[in-house]
Amino acid sequence: MRKLRSLWIRLISPFRRRDADQEFAAELESHLAMHIEDGVRAGLSESEARRQALIRMGGAEQAKQAYRERATLPWLETLLQDTRYALRGFRRNPIFTFTAIATLALGIGATTAVFSVVDRILFRSLPYAHDDRIVSVGLVQSLERQEFTVGGFFFDWRDNQKPFEAFASQQALPHACDLVEANPVQLNCIHAQAGFLPLLGISPVVGRNFLPEEDRPNGPRVALISYGLWLSHYNRDPDILNRQIDVDGSPARVVGVLPKGFELPTLQAADVIMPMALNEGVERKSSPGSPMRTFARLRPGVSIAQAKAELEPLFVYTRETLIPAQIRKDFHLSVRSLRDRETKDVQLTAWIFLGSALAVLLIACANVGSLMTARGAARERELAMRSALGASRGRLIHQTLTEASLLSFAAAVTGMVLAEGLLRVFLAIAPTGIPFLLRAGLDLRIALFTGLLSVVCGTLFGLLPALQTPRAVALAARATKSRDRTVLRRSLVVGQIAISMILLSGAALLLKSFQNMREQSLGMQTQGVLMARIALPGFRYNTGEKKMDFYLNAEAALRRLPGIRAVGFSDSLPPGGWHDDERFADLAAEGKPHTAQGIGGSVVCRGVTPDYFQALNIPIIRGRNFTEQDRTASEYWVVLSRLLATRMFPGEDPVGKRIQRLRDGTWFAVVGVAENVKNGGLMEQDEPEIYFLRHSMAQDWGERAPVGEVMSGAAPLMIVNAILPPSAVAPWVRSQIAQLDPTVPVEIEPLTQTVSKLADRPRFQTALLSFFAFSGLAMAVIGLYGVIAYMTVQRTQEIGVRMALGAGRLDILRLILGEGVRLIAMGSFLGLLSALALSSVMKSLLYSVSPHDPLSFVVVSLLMAFVGLAATLIPARAAMKTDPMEALRTE
Amino acid sequence: MGDKTDVWQGTLTLMVLRTLEIMGPQHGYGLARRIEQTSGDRLMLNYGTLYPALLKLEQEGSIRSRWGVSDNNRRAKFYELTKAGQRQVRKATADWEQTTEILARFLAPSEEA
Repeated sequence: MRKLRSLWIRLISPFRRRDADQEFAAELESHLAMHIEDGVRAGLSESEARRQALIRMGGAEQAKQAYRERATLPWLETLLQDTRYALRGFRRNPIFTFTAIATLALGIGATTAVFSVVDRILFRSLPYAHDDRIVSVGLVQSLERQEFTVGGFFFDWRDNQKPFEAFASQQALPHACDLVEANPVQLNCIHAQAGFLPLLGISPVVGRNFLPEEDRPNGPRVALISYGLWLSHYNRDPDILNRQIDVDGSPARVVGVLPKGFELPTLQAADVIMPMALNEGVERKSSPGSPMRTFARLRPGVSIAQAKAELEPLFVYTRETLIPAQIRKDFHLSVRSLRDRETKDVQLTAWIFLGSALAVLLIACANVGSLMTARGAARERELAMRSALGASRGRLIHQTLTEASLLSFAAAVTGMVLAEGLLRVFLAIAPTGIPFLLRAGLDLRIALFTGLLSVVCGTLFGLLPALQTPRAVALAARATKSRDRTVLRRSLVVGQIAISMILLSGAALLLKSFQNMREQSLGMQTQGVLMARIALPGFRYNTGEKKMDFYLNAEAALRRLPGIRAVGFSDSLPPGGWHDDERFADLAAEGKPHTAQGIGGSVVCRGVTPDYFQALNIPIIRGRNFTEQDRTASEYWVVLSRLLATRMFPGEDPVGKRIQRLRDGTWFAVVGVAENVKNGGLMEQDEPEIYFLRHSMAQDWGERAPVGEVMSGAAPLMIVNAILPPSAVAPWVRSQIAQLDPTVPVEIEPLTQTVSKLADRPRFQTALLSFFAFSGLAMAVIGLYGVIAYMTVQRTQEIGVRMALGAGRLDILRLILGEGVRLIAMGSFLGLLSALALSSVMKSLLYSVSPHDPLSFVVVSLLMAFVGLAATLIPARAAMKTDPMEALRTE
Repeated sequence: MGDKTDVWQGTLTLMVLRTLEIMGPQHGYGLARRIEQTSGDRLMLNYGTLYPALLKLEQEGSIRSRWGVSDNNRRAKFYELTKAGQRQVRKATADWEQTTEILARFLAPSEEA
């Protein structure tokens, strides 16, 4: 307590101790006077008494010094002094100050904004207890890359596994459900086992989790609701517990409210969670049983690899007993950390973004370091003077570091503001599918990161100039040459150029890839095509019959409209997004031994009506299309894509041949071959494709639930090709559907927009990396200009001498340009080498561009050379115009 | 030499507090002389070190100071104990007595042997 009080007084004393020194001087004087008086009284002479008194004092100045050190905190004094000195310096040189802060703020701001986006993807802990021990467990296969389990083996695994202390599932898919109340809403519902939330360490903010007896068939119907639903629909009603809510027409009792910000480990949206209530006995015997997503918590000290090894026997048993022999090889056991399960596919992009932002920051730091060095050179004599007057080396470094910290602190504050702005831009242009982006924001953690950045950066560029001791000769020399300062600055510039070369190369590759992607032929028409997704509430349209009636009525109504070319249905649409798959090995051509080894990859499947091909303008190149009459016939017909036709019937005409689907033994007759379309996403290779005819029969209109996608992807999509622009057609489509059933939600999107959305992510990556590359380039070029201009001024006298000795203006130009060219060449060379080494990391982000694409690298080198030379030319031209007489007179 | 001053730092504080307790408000010079007298002139204080010690006590709130007039009509700064200071003297005195008593047992001629 006493220590604290004392520390506080000493801390604030520098700010109020104007007269404390004078006061102590007065006290000391009074002390001495009394002492002298005593001495005189004892018989000493006045001067002798004074001498003795001073000796006993130990020297008046020493006493004052000791007193001052006790009165304040000496390091604080130094700091304040340095700060005042630095601020004075900044005020005297506002251009330097502004440039330094702006440069750094750009670097820090960009890095902060990017960090806030990638933080949750790469670093921030997941919102579950023991998040580092939660894993996703299950099988993977070529048609489903995310771990899944089914009732047929889940219970075996749960009961016999050893590496986990908790093991539980959620339903594979949330489904659209209707909350039927005074104001009905459509929600996302999902079922989960009673052990699921405890596994994640989640307890409801209000109420409780499911009880085991509620997770049994025919148990009480209960529900947990999300915080968002509680807030928006029930206005945070504290009496929500035990309330009966009506979900899809049957009542459920609310037993709890999920915490704010709760997310499923699959990141799917869920407003209502209900018990899975599986019938264990039935599931165990069924093959395959209900699909699930299973998560588990590792026992402490067990690694993922160990857990996987321990599960291997269970997996082998499951594979041998449950999976048909011909596709067994396609199934693998997978155990992944939850972070990888959530964000594996964007981690690379996140690292590239963060790396680029840090590279820009590094260039900015180098730039400011270079500026400070130049400033140091200008102040060399001043520093040498201070050194000569007794300032220690440490004291001078301290001074420079204080300046650097002040600059980087100001830059950090500006950078935070900039980051907030950049983040808004990101959110505005960002694609869907970058997880957590919408929730990215600047919080304390991000601010700490920014603070850390600025400290590191400040130390970095603060120490650079401080590393050079002011030499005593600087005092004597009339003009200092400061050769080693330019060496340092030149290596900084070479480094900057090299780093910006790397950034530029990355941006160039992405740009080219993006262009390739944009210009590729999709093999179908997108202009004037609309896609309508109609979400029929499952509890009212509860049979395939009812659904089919609705869709066929809608089709008929739309066909009657003027200007509509074609109205077709399909369960999915190229070029990207969800689609149904079949293994190639599962399709057999009649009378042919199966040629493919193993699985043979996957085949895209779509169930379409005849008008699908007209609506998307996909040409039939052999045989015929399905006809309207086929729809009511009972035969099974298919159309193959050209790729599939050549793979299944090489060198033959497939029309009239038959194909068997092995998994259920159904035979299909091939009626035609359609031209290939882009169907594996914009960046992937085309896949073979098979079109099944969607008959006008009830079973063809029920929804097939794909594993791993949102439910809406599976409902039939309506495709409308019209002469009029989509903006004119969309309201018609809406009103026609509303006439059939005014309550069903309809989502309409022009196909051009769907395709453009697929390109969002590459576009975002390209835009962001280009932004970094050009910021880096700009700063590197400014750095280059600064160094060359500085050297030119330093060499004014030399230039004068050269000219006096007969050097022409062109020689001078060559001299200065040569200096610049050397730096550019060295930097570009280093940059190119590193870029070539690094660019293969980006391979998976590139579409039909090699990571070592020569053209991109040549273009980037030329750009760098051009911009660099332009920056050098400005000081070089100035040097060329030097008047030798004046140059010789300076100094 | 350095070790000695360190030891003195602690004891000097106690001497100052104790002197102020007995004598009441004192100025720096008077305090110094009084301490020397009390020690039977066996102590030679460096007066320069007295003032930082006084400042420390003041910062810690054990004493307070104000300007006044000395016996021979000179302006001087007077120091006096605060309430907290009085408590501190009592505690420090007790501590010190205990320490010396313990040490004395070690230094006393052994009775059993």
